Amino acid sequence: MTPALLALAMPRLAQMSPADLLILALYFAMVVFIGFYNKEAADTSEEFFLAGREMSAWIAGLSFVSANLGSLELMGWAGAAYQYGILATHWYWIGAIPAMLFLGIVMMPFYYISRTHSVPGYLQLRFGEGARGVSAVSFAFMTVLMSGVNMYSMAKVMQIVLGWDFNFSIWVGAITVGLYVCLGGLRSAIINEVLQFVLIWAGAALIPILGLAEAGGWHNLKAQIIHNVGAGYIHMWSTTGNVANNPMGVHWFGLVFGLGFIISFGYWTTDFLVVQRVLSADSLRSAKMAPIIGSAFKMFVPLIVILPGILGLAVLRNADGSLMHLVGENAAVAGQHTYNEVLPLMMARYLGPGLLGLGITALVAGFMSGMAGNVSAFSTVWTYDIYGAYINKKADDKHYVAMGRWCTVVGMVISIGTAYLVASAASIMDYVQALFSFFIAPLFGTVILGMLWKRATRQGGFWGLLCGTVSSISLWAFVRANPNNIRFMILQPHASQLIIDKVQAMSENIYRAMWSWLICVLVTVVVSLLTKARPIAELNGLVYGATEIPSEGDLPLHKRPIFWAIIVALVLIALNVIFW
Amino acid sequence: MPVYQRFSIWFFVGVLTLAYGLVLLAIGIWEFSHPPVGIVLSQYHGTFWWGLLMTTFGAFYTIRFRPQKA
Repeated sequence: MTPALLALAMPRLAQMSPADLLILALYFAMVVFIGFYNKEAADTSEEFFLAGREMSAWIAGLSFVSANLGSLELMGWAGAAYQYGILATHWYWIGAIPAMLFLGIVMMPFYYISRTHSVPGYLQLRFGEGARGVSAVSFAFMTVLMSGVNMYSMAKVMQIVLGWDFNFSIWVGAITVGLYVCLGGLRSAIINEVLQFVLIWAGAALIPILGLAEAGGWHNLKAQIIHNVGAGYIHMWSTTGNVANNPMGVHWFGLVFGLGFIISFGYWTTDFLVVQRVLSADSLRSAKMAPIIGSAFKMFVPLIVILPGILGLAVLRNADGSLMHLVGENAAVAGQHTYNEVLPLMMARYLGPGLLGLGITALVAGFMSGMAGNVSAFSTVWTYDIYGAYINKKADDKHYVAMGRWCTVVGMVISIGTAYLVASAASIMDYVQALFSFFIAPLFGTVILGMLWKRATRQGGFWGLLCGTVSSISLWAFVRANPNNIRFMILQPHASQLIIDKVQAMSENIYRAMWSWLICVLVTVVVSLLTKARPIAELNGLVYGATEIPSEGDLPLHKRPIFWAIIVALVLIALNVIFW
Repeated sequence: MPVYQRFSIWFFVGVLTLAYGLVLLAIGIWEFSHPPVGIVLSQYHGTFWWGLLMTTFGAFYTIRFRPQKA
């Protein structure tokens, strides 16, 4: 039997009608067409890897947020919302918005003025080859694993919702993404990301609308959630004074400084997948505005991710009318559904023929944008920061473009391998958070010191980054060897088993990130003070205080990025107060 | 032969959402006489209204950002 026929034999949550298949097919046809359409234009390395630096603020901003809208956002966080309530929204608000605004206002001038092509490229300019090497290798490793996560999630959705063969979905997704990125480079990936952003909203927005209608409005929904699982599921801050008081086992200190500062700043300001989109902007002002525009849209993504998750706590019912209870990946037995299935279950509940196809296409689009983002970033870092920096420094531009295309293919193959590894992970979210804490937090420490502290030296940057990364891996191994060691990491030697279990389930990565960042910063500062400072003249374009940043004083208020950043920040504060 | 500008990103957005809107609109109209089975709140005709919204959005973007002569 062919894979397609095998797929029809599997049990499924929903059945796709011919109209649904048409909608999905139109999407695949469009993305492949876009790849071929942009192939001729992507003939220089600037075009292939940075889309010619021609993207407007809106395009760069939408692709910036869309590149992040992958498996995590759509399935994983809806599942986390079902599991932990609206606490999961922190990963969209305090865990993203301040960092995005900081990137736009403070860091983009240095990324853009330095004309670097990547984050490791910036580290090479600022701290030399050692820091670039550590960052490039760790990023390349992490990003192909992330691509595998997206690939696995998409295949899982196809399997659960439609009964499609797992392997078939992985290969079709991989070949499609590989094709349009290999042909059209970053421009192709960005166009598809903007398309995918629109599709995600088009396909997913009806679910919370209809869900709230069924639940009887927001206040009735809250009452039902309190009745079914408890009040801790509908508060964002009031239950975080003690890790034992909320479903997630988080403390406000960890949320603000661990998630809100270390992890989110580390991701949004240094993860090259998203930063690459902003580097493609057509001017410094566009580069500053793009993350701010992205942050405004990011703030409303909980409507289509978190809200469906918590709606599941009230409206999902078994055939006998009793409340359905979803469980963790490892706890599910025959007939039970897992947390990560909450969004597909809601789709099957409300979306009829046509709308289901749109919803499925939105999920597929979200996963594929994540895959494309990771593989295009991998291709850039490999070509510029590993191959071009250490293996073949003297090739011509055409050669590097060819390497970028080949690297895309190789990256997809490696991602396929990692997708099968992820299949054995207990939860998508825990897996990704663990990866973040290995590499992202120390990298943020190194980059931010590099941009804001003239005294940071090459040796300080290298040793700080290395020690921070090694410490985060060591802490992970320390807890893995004995989960009770968490109590030392959270500085509570007498913590109860309940607290240890709660922290281990969700917030262990936050504490690990805080420690590794702290170690990175301390080592960077100490080693820098013990070594010779670089002349100021060499730091022009790289560091605050040594770089002339163009003034925006002559621009009207509504054209200044800082004005819009303040507006977004005020809305963020208001939302957190409303959902206290 | 006239030369046209390259397609804008927004033109691609318009074409795809217009195509989807038309498909949903057709299904939505058909569902007035053939309601879908097993779909909660199908009486609100979500497919029809969403199709109308997407058709309007898609048509606007397709026309507004269609390639102009270079």
